[in-house]
Amino acid sequence: MNNTSNKCPIAIITGCLGSGKTTILSKILKEKEMDRTAVIVNEFGKVGLDHHLLRKVDEKTVLISGGCICCSTREDLEKELTDLLNKKQSGKIPEVNRVVIETTGLADPAPIVFTVLTNPLLKHHFYIENIITTIDAVNGLLHLEKQNEAIKQITVSDKIIITKLDISNPKQVKQLKEKLYALNPSSEIIESRINNINSSILFRSEIKDSSYYINKVKSNIEVDNNSDQNIYSLALSFDSPIDWTAFGLWLSMLLYSHGENILRVKGLIDVGQRGPIVLNGVQHIIHPPQHLNNWPTNDTRSHIVFIMKSVVPEDILNSLKCFSNFLGSEVSIMELYSRT
Amino acid sequence: MCVLCSEFVMDVHWSDFQIGYSDNSTVVVGDHQRDRRRNRIHRTSLANKILLYYGIKLEDWNGSKYILRDKKGQIEIVNDLGSLWSAVTKLSHKVPDPLDPDLLNYMSKSW
Repeated sequence: MNNTSNKCPIAIITGCLGSGKTTILSKILKEKEMDRTAVIVNEFGKVGLDHHLLRKVDEKTVLISGGCICCSTREDLEKELTDLLNKKQSGKIPEVNRVVIETTGLADPAPIVFTVLTNPLLKHHFYIENIITTIDAVNGLLHLEKQNEAIKQITVSDKIIITKLDISNPKQVKQLKEKLYALNPSSEIIESRINNINSSILFRSEIKDSSYYINKVKSNIEVDNNSDQNIYSLALSFDSPIDWTAFGLWLSMLLYSHGENILRVKGLIDVGQRGPIVLNGVQHIIHPPQHLNNWPTNDTRSHIVFIMKSVVPEDILNSLKCFSNFLGSEVSIMELYSRT
Repeated sequence: MCVLCSEFVMDVHWSDFQIGYSDNSTVVVGDHQRDRRRNRIHRTSLANKILLYYGIKLEDWNGSKYILRDKKGQIEIVNDLGSLWSAVTKLSHKVPDPLDPDLLNYMSKSW
């Protein structure tokens, strides 16, 4: 997300089978401002059913053959994006200013992020703007219980869209929202209505919304215990500016030893300058940190959300406490509670 | 590309992104070198506070590489924090882990 001025944003849409990815996408793609958007659909199996629904974008739709991105090779996506870049620069296709990747219901978005951030060519031309996960209000809870993929998708997403609200009851939605919030406190939860689904959901700079996420993390510490899958989320705040170099050492060390289990790191970090640093990471992959000129709200404390698997939140907290002199800032605890 | 050893450095580690220069659209050769060197020295001294626990020392080498040395004189050359910790494992035969109670005990005592 650094130097975004001449890079092409990519939005990734993911979600369980039948959760409404394509419905939302086809609706958004009808908008006029989306006509310069390339869509890469990633179908599970050989028959690209969803592909035929995306009629408006037929020419630019690239169907990746041979199954899902992460379980076949990421080279497919690499090739598609490189190909897109070639065609764009040689003028064979009209100017493309955005890319949408729709994954399969079982896909893990992390390999896509990895591909875009590490490919020597792609990383200079593309960046991941948002990962959006759709979840079905009726079957969402069931999916989260039965499918580990669904949990992975929720934890890595920046925005979660709850779909099928018309056929669900408010109680279900409330339960689902609580669960989603517990799994990923850093994500923005959007309830899909007739009017609020538009292109800004895919490509709105999310930093402007971070007041939303900061407000949600009201207590400084929130530990959520989801005993079935050992997924924990932890929201922390720091009372004074953090030494960025020291934090880099600590975090890189943590990711070296526990990277696979740190599903998500997200936050705004006060490094003693005017604006914060936006930190965003999925497992071993950390997006290039972006330095903002100003804080989105008046609250200028550092906030970090960790989502992890099999790593106990107290350990992270304890580690940050022991490193507090090293980091130059104390983790402040106001309240520690767990919800099951 | 490293001009001295012609090593092809493809990835910029996330911790090496320039922080604090929001408008870096024009890059002048040699710009911010003083800050860069200062940051590297700062990082080395901070890292050494952790690495002392593993009996290892980190040095900045001409502002382009880092050199890790253990007390037996073994040497590893690292480019950034991405390769630092695996080199530490190689030299100390321990996995550096910020959640390790012994390390934490050491860190809280040494400060």
